[in-house]
Parts: sequence; structure tokens; C-alpha cells
Amino acid sequence: MNDTSLQKFYGWFSVLAILVGVLAGVGYYRDEYRPWKDYQKRFIAEEVRRAPSPDQKLQAARTPLQIRQILLPELNRVDRCTTCHLAVEDPTYGGFPQPLAYHPQHDQHPFDKFGCTVCHRGQGRATTADDAHGSVEHWDQPMLPLKFIEASCGQCHEASDNPAAPRLARGSQLFETVGCRGCHKLGGVGGVVGPELDRVGARRSPDWLRAHFLEPAAVTPGSGMPPQKFSEPDVEAIVLFMLSQTGAELPGFYASMKVLPSAAQGQHLFQQKGCIGCHSLGGQGGKVGPALDDVGLRRKPEWIVQHFRDPQTVSPGTVMPRFGFTEAEARALTDFLLHQREQKVALSLPSLMGPVERGREVFRKYGCVGCHGPEGKGGVPNPNAKTAQQVPALTYVADGYTKPEVVKLILNGQHEIAALDPARPAPPLYMPAWGSTIKEGEIDDLVAYLFSLKPKGEDLGF
Amino acid sequence: MNPKPLGDTAVTRRGFFQLSMGWVAGTFAVAATAIATVRFLVPNVVFEPAQLFKAGAPEDYPDGSITFLEDERVFVLRRGNTFRCLSAVCTHLGCTVNRSDKGFHCPCHGSVFNRDGAVVSGPAPRALTWFLVTLSKDNRLVVDKGQNVAHDKYLIL
Amino acid sequence: MVPHHLWTWFASTRVGRSIFRVGPPHSNLERSQAMVSSLLLHVQPAKVNRHALKASYSLGLGLISLYLFFILIGTGTLLMFYYVPSTTQAYDRMKDLQFVVSAGLFVRNMHRWAAHLMVAAVMLHMCRVFYTGAYKAPREFNWLVGVGLFLTTLGLSFTGYLLPWDQLAFWAITVGTNIAGYAPIVGPKLKYLMLGGNTVGQEALTRFYALHVIVLPAIGGLGVAIHMWRVRKDGGLSRPDEPVSVAESLPLAQLPTNKSYGLMELARGTTPQVGRDPDDEVFSWPSLIFRELVLFLVVVAFVLFLAIFWNAPLEELANTIHPPNPAKAPWYFLGLQELVSYSAFWGGVAVPALIVTALVVLPYLDRGREGVGVWFARERRVATTVFSVCVAVAIALTVVGTMFRGPNWGWVVPWRTPPPAMEGH
Repeated sequence: MNDTSLQKFYGWFSVLAILVGVLAGVGYYRDEYRPWKDYQKRFIAEEVRRAPSPDQKLQAARTPLQIRQILLPELNRVDRCTTCHLAVEDPTYGGFPQPLAYHPQHDQHPFDKFGCTVCHRGQGRATTADDAHGSVEHWDQPMLPLKFIEASCGQCHEASDNPAAPRLARGSQLFETVGCRGCHKLGGVGGVVGPELDRVGARRSPDWLRAHFLEPAAVTPGSGMPPQKFSEPDVEAIVLFMLSQTGAELPGFYASMKVLPSAAQGQHLFQQKGCIGCHSLGGQGGKVGPALDDVGLRRKPEWIVQHFRDPQTVSPGTVMPRFGFTEAEARALTDFLLHQREQKVALSLPSLMGPVERGREVFRKYGCVGCHGPEGKGGVPNPNAKTAQQVPALTYVADGYTKPEVVKLILNGQHEIAALDPARPAPPLYMPAWGSTIKEGEIDDLVAYLFSLKPKGEDLGF
Repeated sequence: MNPKPLGDTAVTRRGFFQLSMGWVAGTFAVAATAIATVRFLVPNVVFEPAQLFKAGAPEDYPDGSITFLEDERVFVLRRGNTFRCLSAVCTHLGCTVNRSDKGFHCPCHGSVFNRDGAVVSGPAPRALTWFLVTLSKDNRLVVDKGQNVAHDKYLIL
Repeated sequence: MVPHHLWTWFASTRVGRSIFRVGPPHSNLERSQAMVSSLLLHVQPAKVNRHALKASYSLGLGLISLYLFFILIGTGTLLMFYYVPSTTQAYDRMKDLQFVVSAGLFVRNMHRWAAHLMVAAVMLHMCRVFYTGAYKAPREFNWLVGVGLFLTTLGLSFTGYLLPWDQLAFWAITVGTNIAGYAPIVGPKLKYLMLGGNTVGQEALTRFYALHVIVLPAIGGLGVAIHMWRVRKDGGLSRPDEPVSVAESLPLAQLPTNKSYGLMELARGTTPQVGRDPDDEVFSWPSLIFRELVLFLVVVAFVLFLAIFWNAPLEELANTIHPPNPAKAPWYFLGLQELVSYSAFWGGVAVPALIVTALVVLPYLDRGREGVGVWFARERRVATTVFSVCVAVAIALTVVGTMFRGPNWGWVVPWRTPPPAMEGH
């Protein structure tokens, strides 16, 4: 019954027990001492320093160290940035070194309703700097570089008429004028040669987008997209605009705030909703309702807003329908009417244009420029295409086709493009079918415009 | 734990020391584990509306008004340049009280409170709670539901 | 020795005596009683054969598996206080564990590494039992219980794998359940049952959670109890036959009578003690218990060490449309996934079925009793070789699947191929 061999285990026992104790202690210690505590201590020290009375100093010193978070259930997120960024709402910390700096214009979008990551992206749930700023593996929404911050405005607001985001507006304008829609769908409208762009801002980084614009084939092998010649500010603007296309679904409160109550936005709505059908501005328009030129002199702003909310409540018996405007839309339209005299807005009103002018609008709207060049002048490369390795110009379409032929070509598209050299890859760009996208009245106007492209003075064929 | 091994061999000094060290270290390890476990289980954040919140600008509240904030279940009272914040949670069993001419009343079991939140009648055991109101650096009213104050403590601007 | 004196004092008080009916043992009677009268300890016998204490024989693998199981239950229970098995919340909760819960990441790391270690330990334990012939009569049924425990362990690891709901989890389980779906006739139904539907979604997450936290642990716990009980009933840990001792040739009446612990019972069949000289054995308390304590500390220290220096992975939120390329099953199924890439039937159905069948019938096919209790016994050369070849093939396939397969399950040479550029960066 002798067992002396246990003694040889005593050494092991003591070493291991100490090791377990040390490891458990180390593991737990690493968790308790997080960097955010240091930042909070710094902030508290500063607050104590600034506190005017001893009582307040005591109160400030007693601030507990804790993780701070903004709960945003509608946006389905939790933002813990304020755990370190403690002074974002305190203007007296303007210019302080990060993370204790003040956030300029902090109450345009109150933090308790918007949080931080809807605009700045990054990983809101994190409590360490690198993880929170999102520049870590396995997080695909790193913080937007500050110069691209306007992209976030475009998630909720209309890009084109945003006075607070001029570069975004420029990007949006470029998108339309350069003709991206000819190949790319955005918001359901556009060609199908390239991928849809509705979520491109969530999937691609700014660097990738920039490289893609300048040299598409380098980033996406086999791409038929022609390299874009943008100036430096324009590249940034279009990248910004692309970054704003995140496909984010806006919950109720945020969608109702979508429209900025600006005169420009109001003008946009005015045209969109067809107010000119019943009212006139500058002598142009309908006669069912009163002229709106001097409405600002005759009516108070609150009256006009209420009129938009529900015409019957301020003008009983009026035939003006209730449009169901959101609060922001009503205010934007009011703003426009009050200021339209000053702004000397030039309304481009479709009903007052001729078919060629309307057709030019259609040409712009669907991005035909992107492949056929400005005013259909061509010049866009299509490698290995029989048509001189370019997308054909449209200047002489009147000579080569009858109107019905052109209509058919636009509606049905042409998928097979004849190759110059069958051994080389097929030409990447083709004519998509627009039949399901283009609207009924638009096709005739478009053809009228195309036929008008032939330089004047030449024989008008048929 | 019997330090003596079975049989005739006595434990050496070294063996004794090692065993003691082992048990002391082991006790420490168990204690550390227990503390860490308890700390683990104590939540550091709660997914509830914050105790400390901003209640808008002072200008948003008309003079003499009593405004009910639904999400936070409080009343904000303004008189002249003074502000107070009253809990709308009945001290009986937690229903939300309503305003009445003479103060507040609870629809659940009929407790009646006067304008200072004191209990007039009904089963409520205590007066309604008043919360600390301060002004933030960016000119917003800040309510702290974690700090109770007397009914006559105002924020004076 | 303060703890000892404190303990002795407490154990002699009225309160102490009401809890611990046997004080610190000082005699052999008391040593036996310490084992027998304790709920936890009486799973083990009062005395064990010396041979069972040899670390070089069993490598303690069964105990290691058990300790890892305990660590997993402990850490798993703690994790249950924060985890929510919902497709919209699970991932966020994993992030919260890392960022907001004190020691959250540490506990999660412990859980993850203990899980992987347990699968490995269970496999190694199975190999050890095979190589020492410890599945042979009378231990055949215990081997079957062991196979059941092995499958339960795989099930626990697999069901737990899904819970973080990240890309790694989602696609590993998609691949795994697809492999299950390849079984003929029952495959698609089995997959439907596992997933609670046709796709890996909320239903699958709920089911896997239920399986992971209660069903499989209960089965595992029951299995472990049966397993340890059978070890005792089958004669303790397997050991080589000893030369016949003098004692065995004595008539029954002349056997030494200095067994004084008074545990006598009438039982059918032979007990392990008949014909044995008592000197073969030692008291479990403290010889076995202390060794078990030291081994426990080794396992805990190792798991703590891993948990401090390596973080459990958490990739992007599960994206049901975009699989990572390649999408890999957990490592213990990678060998199967490699086979499946050649043939869905062979890899997904035939080979697993063959493996399980072979394991189940093995102890009943192998009737010889030679070579038990010895590693790589010469008499069992054939069996040892066949088994080793199978193990080597399994390891090779797993290694190939882990390191040598890249996008589209194509070949990659890990030390030469650069990691693929991430989309969009």
C-alpha cells in the first residue's frame, strides 16, 4: 500500500496552480483595463479643471467610468462612439485633440436620433479605436474619409439639390451628363450593359471606385467601360456620389425628413408634381388656379404650408387635390414659392417644349451620352467592334434608317455586335433593349431629336 | 489534504512547501475565477432608453406648460425661467399617471397626486419622483433619471 | 499550511460534520470512505490498479476530454447570459461579448478552443483505446458508448459552430448540411429535419441552439456517466495480463483477510478483485485523485493560455447570397468535404457510413483477446496497421482540405499563393 510517487507531483501541482492563477489573472486584467477608460479619465480631469466651484469640481470628479451608447432601434444599430468621443456636443471643446474634440454643427442631426455611424460608417458597437473605426479585417464598412462625408447626405436627401453638400450635387450632375445610365441602372432606370449601381456605395471602397473611373479594365478585367477623363475635383465628386448609393432602407421617421426644406428642392418638387398644370408662373402655365408669382406677398408662410398639408382647411371648396406631402416637402415647396422671385428660377417645363427639345431631355435622361457621346457625336471605344472599334455615332442616323427602324432598334436593342476579328474577344459594349424602360411618349420625341442631329444645310433625305 | 503520503516516507520540506504554494495559488485562482465570473455577469450596458437624456431646448417649452414626454415617461414643467422634471410613473405599481386639474391621477388604482407630486389619496405609498434637470453646454435641458431631487429644486436659467 | 488547518477545523465543527460526513482521511478506512460516500467521487472505485495510474499508458485522454467538457459547460453557461439565438441579434451579441462584456472575449475564446481541443482529444482517446486493444471483451459495449459520445461531441461542435451567425458559421453549416443531404432516401428528409426547413435560417438557428445547449449536453452527460460506470464494471482501465500470482493458486479460504473496508455485496459474475493480490492496487484517495487534479490544472492552464493569446474568429455578418470563396466546413469535416469534391455519394454518404459501421462492429468482429493492455501489441499487427492507415488517410484528407484548397476548391500551395484580394478593397 505504499505510494510514495505522489510527492513527485507536488512540484507539478504548485507550478501549475500558480500558472493557472497567473493566467486567469492576466486574462481578466486585460479585459478590465481598456483604453476607453483612459480617455474618460482625461475628460473627467479636464471637466474638473474647468468646473468653477469646488462643489462642481467634486461632482465632475465623481462621474463614473462607463461605456456610453446611443440606441437606435429604428436604424437597427447601437453606436458606442461617445464612450471615447465624450465632448461631441460641447462647443467649448472646439479644436481639442481627438477623441475629445467637439463635432461641428452637431445639432443638425441630433445624435440621440441619428447616432454616428449612419454618416461616418465604421463599427458602432466596438469600444476600441481600431475596431470602431472599422479598418479591421472582416468589417466591410470602414469609416468614410472625411473628404467623402457628403456621400452620407445622399443616403437620405436628394443628391442634386443639396446646398449643404455641393460636391455631392456635382457628382449627381456628372452622373446624368456623362451618361452613366446608358449602361448602368440606378433607381431602376438605365441600361443593362454594366451592373446596377444601387448598392455600389456599400460594396466598394473610395479607392476602388476612383481607380475604376480612371482605368476600368485595370480594376475589372474584361470591362468594356471606357476610361473617364475627369478633372480631379470631378473624380472626387463622382466617387462621392457613388459612395452615397448604399441602397439603405429608410425607416419612417427618416424617410419623412428626406427632403431638405430648401427652395431648390421645392422647385424640383414643383416641376415633378406638375403644379404648372393648374397654376402659372412668369406668365406660363395653367389658369385653373391663381398665378403664384406674388403669393409670398399675399399669404403668410404658415398659411402656404398648411395649404400644402391640406388645401381644404384653408381654402374650403377648392379643387386643389390633397397631395399627401410630407412635412419636409410642404416646407420646401413653401420656401420655393416665397423665394422664386429672387431666384429667378428658369423652369424647364416639358409641356412647353417641342418634340426635339423633349427628345434631348430623353437622350440625357437615359444616359445615351455614355456610349454614343455628347450629342451623339460618338468617340467611345468598343474594342474589336466592326464599327471602327467604336460605338457608332448617331449624327447621320437620319440618313441610314427610317423612323420605324430606329424605334425598333431602340426598343429591342442589339445584343450581338459584329466583331472585327473573330479570334479576339467579342466587343464588350452593346445596345440594350429599352422597351421595358422607356416611356410611351418618350420614344417618338427621342427619335425626333436623333433625326435632328444631322448638321443643318445637308439634304434631309426622306 | 493529508500532507503525509501513505506509507513510511515522511514528506520532505520541499514537498511540503510545494504543496502549500500549490494550495495557496489554487485558492487564489479559484477566487479570481469567482470574481471574474461575477463581473462577467454584471451588465456594462443596458439596451433600454437612457437614464440621462436631452429634453430639447428651453425655448421649446412654453411658459407655464406641463409637457409629457412619452418615451421617457416624464413631465417637463416650466414656470417663467424655472424648469422641473417629474416622473410619470405611479409609485404604487408603475402605471403611467395622467394630468388632472389639480395635479395628476393614476388610472390603474386611483391614486391622486397634487401638483408637487405628493400623494393626496389612493394606494400610492410615496410621492412622485422629481428628477435632476441641468443645462448642457449646447443649451439643452438634460434630465437625469438616476438622480432624484426634492420637489422644490428647480433649474433656474 | 493555513488552508489545511482551516479545513480541518471546519470539518470538525457541527456544521462541517453535517456537510462532510467523512473528515480528512487518515486511515485506509477513511480513504475508502472518502471515495464511496461522496456523490461526485463515488463514480470512481475506492481502489484502482496501479497500472491505471500510468500516464504513459492512457495519456489521460479520457479525463482530458471530460475536463474539456466541464470547461465547455461552464463557459457555455456564462455565454448563455448574453447570447440570443436570433438571426438579427446573434451577430451583434457576439460583438457585444467582445466589446462590452467584462471578460466576454476571454470566456468566448476559452469556449472555442476547448471545443476544438475536445474534438481532437476525443479522437485521440479513441485511437489510444484502439491501439491498446481496450475495446475487446468485456469492453465491447463501452466502446459503442464511446462511439456514441464521439458522434455527440461532433454534433455539439457542429451545432455550436452556427451560433455566431457570421460568414464562417453560416457557410460551414450550409456545406455540412448539404453533405448530410446526400444520403440516399433519408438524406433530404434528414436535412429538412435538421434545418427546420429548406434553408439555413432562423429555424435552423433555433434548433441548433436547442440541440447545443440542452439536448446534446444531456446526452453527452448521460453517456459519460454510463461510460465511466462501465469502465468500473468491466474491470477498470484495460491492462496487460499479469503473471499468475501466488495468491491465485491458494484456495479461497486462505486469501488474505486484511481488506478492512467492509464493502461486501453479493454480485453475479466475477469481480475484478477475485484472485488479485491487494498489492496491485492503491487507494484512489489520494493517489488517483491527486493525479487527476494535476491533470485538470494542466488542461485548464492550456485552455487559458490559448484563450489569452488567440482570439476566436468572427468574420462578417452572414450574407446568405455571397459565400466566401472557398466555403469550408469545420476542420473535422474537411476530410469529408475533400472527398465530396470528388464524389458526392462517396464523400457524403458511403465513407461516413462505412466509418461509423466499421467503428460499431469492430469489437464484435475482433474476437481474439490477445494484446489487450499494451500499445501496438505484436499479435495485433494487422489490426494496428489497418487502423493506422485509415487514420493517416483521414489526416491527409483533412490537411489537404485545410491548407491546400483555395477558391473554387482549386489547388493552392499555401506558402506560395498570396491571400486573395478582398472584394472592393
